[in-house]
Amino acid sequence: MKTKFGIILSIVLLLVLSACGPASPKERKSEEKNGNQKIASLSIHLTNDLLALGITPAGSVVGGGLKDFLPHVKDQLKNTKKLGPAADPDMEALLALKPSAIYMDEEYGGKDLGKFKKIAPVHVFDLDEGTWRDHLKKIGKLVNRDKQAKEFVEDYDKETKEVKGLIQHELGKNSKAMAIRVTAKELRVFGTARPMGPILFDDLGFTPANGVKKVDANQPYQVISQEVLPDFDADAIFVVVNQDDQSKTAFKQMENSSIWKGLKAVKNKHVYVVPDQPWLDYSALGNKMAMDQAEKMFSK
Amino acid sequence: MKKAMSPDARRASGVFTLFVLISIAAILISLNTGTLPIPPLKVIQTFFGYGDFTSTTVLFDYRLPRILITMLAGIGLGISGSILQGLSRNPLADPGILGLHAGAAFGLIVYVTYFHSLNEKASLFIPLFTFGGGVAAAFFIVLLAHDKFKGIMPIRLILVGIAISAGFGAVTLFLSLRLNEDTYLFASRWLVGNVWGRDWIHVVSLLPWIFILGPYAWLQSKTLNVLSLGDSVATGLGAAVQKRRLLLLGTAVGLSCASVSVAGSIGFLGLVAPHLARRLVGPMYQYFLPLSGLIGLVILVLADTIGRAVFAPNSIPAGVVVAAIGAPYFLYLLARTK
Repeated sequence: MKTKFGIILSIVLLLVLSACGPASPKERKSEEKNGNQKIASLSIHLTNDLLALGITPAGSVVGGGLKDFLPHVKDQLKNTKKLGPAADPDMEALLALKPSAIYMDEEYGGKDLGKFKKIAPVHVFDLDEGTWRDHLKKIGKLVNRDKQAKEFVEDYDKETKEVKGLIQHELGKNSKAMAIRVTAKELRVFGTARPMGPILFDDLGFTPANGVKKVDANQPYQVISQEVLPDFDADAIFVVVNQDDQSKTAFKQMENSSIWKGLKAVKNKHVYVVPDQPWLDYSALGNKMAMDQAEKMFSK
Repeated sequence: MKKAMSPDARRASGVFTLFVLISIAAILISLNTGTLPIPPLKVIQTFFGYGDFTSTTVLFDYRLPRILITMLAGIGLGISGSILQGLSRNPLADPGILGLHAGAAFGLIVYVTYFHSLNEKASLFIPLFTFGGGVAAAFFIVLLAHDKFKGIMPIRLILVGIAISAGFGAVTLFLSLRLNEDTYLFASRWLVGNVWGRDWIHVVSLLPWIFILGPYAWLQSKTLNVLSLGDSVATGLGAAVQKRRLLLLGTAVGLSCASVSVAGSIGFLGLVAPHLARRLVGPMYQYFLPLSGLIGLVILVLADTIGRAVFAPNSIPAGVVVAAIGAPYFLYLLARTK
């Protein structure tokens, strides 16, 4: 009798213990619909789209080079957990966050979604498809803030119209523009793709300067040499200078070169030096902030 | 009837047991290190299947594969270094210094450039590409360092290795400049020894290399002992010198290239581990070869843990930590061998 009882007891114990196995993330799903969301954003740009809708993500990846949130939104992310760089997110921090949804950029997450799906439902965005307006509306739908998304876009479009007017007043219609970036190592010209293409050529109505369209549409920029700058024949040049001292020195040297001084845009004082952030942050909030700066620049 | 152990063997087995314990400790420390704190007791619980969702995921999906990769890579590099030092009869030989890693990097960049997409299944082929690059580097090194009369000359080997390293490095740099920014970032992080393999698939891709080539090298201990004595003595003792040497060189290349393919280009480990091992148990390969692998394991696991923990949340690559210790040691040896 005693041994039989012992066997039964051990079987019961075994069953009880095995029932304590890994808990599934199922229960968390219901939270999402209630609007009580805990979103983990694995793209700095999606983070800023969320911020544009008035939602602070519970966790977000940081800028790869900065190892921190982008400077123009840092103060809005004080309570947000850092999840490492987008290229190599800190999985443990993500898991510890217990998010109700994970938003990610297809570029980084494309390979193994399984890992993320295990933690929470995953929403993948292809940031190369459509504009930030589309991404913002898609997010708006997910978080039940369609109205805010629509208003944000309308707001932006209204402001853009004003700035466009200012620009045409200053430079005339159909003026040609280009955007370049000066780093310590090289000089780059931006193409018509994100981050600089849409805001300059679609929103502000500039015509791409000669050769800008030749930049591979799948690449954000192309490296050029200073000698070819005159060939672009741009009426306006937007210059993004990296924050480090070497880049600043490189730009100063370029400004003193005879090639630079001979440029049409330089002679007419239509060179606009802009900071890398928010201009290179292709998101709803990033572009809005850039537009605010543009408004100030051209109202002078 | 029990055969009495020689004092050498007794000492070796003692030291070996000690290092097994140290490596277990290192592995446990590493398992406990991470952004998400898990108490040691829970780690043990989880291992026996009683963990909750969080601890199971963290341990089995995130930490364990990475630790296994560093363990295997450490063993691979330790053994590879031991073989190379014996073959070249040069205490300064190391797969990184000899240019094998540069060859492996070249293979990796070729893979990334032309076969792209670092997707899941394709990871299995990465060791093959790095091995191909390593073999190419080894071929040139042997070709250039070989003297018709004197065989492979130890000092020339190092110099040729540096040249080969620079040559492959230049081609790699050229190719990597054509990559897009993300792939370039990956390549540059790989080159400083960032343990990028984090998934079980990478463990699977590395495991057969170490498990086949490691024991093979150990079985060849006698040959290695003989070869370290020099070609003429080795031939006199009846070893088929050239054939054995090529086979063992291939083994060393395979071990190091497979290791660095998922663990990143980690230098100096193949130099330091054999040295410490030889100091502890003497120059007989049957004793110091396995110990060298074990020391490689301990160093790499600890280096990766330190890189992750001390500088959290911005981890630094394990290769940098190893080099910070290994490079001064290399200089010390260089000064002494004069």
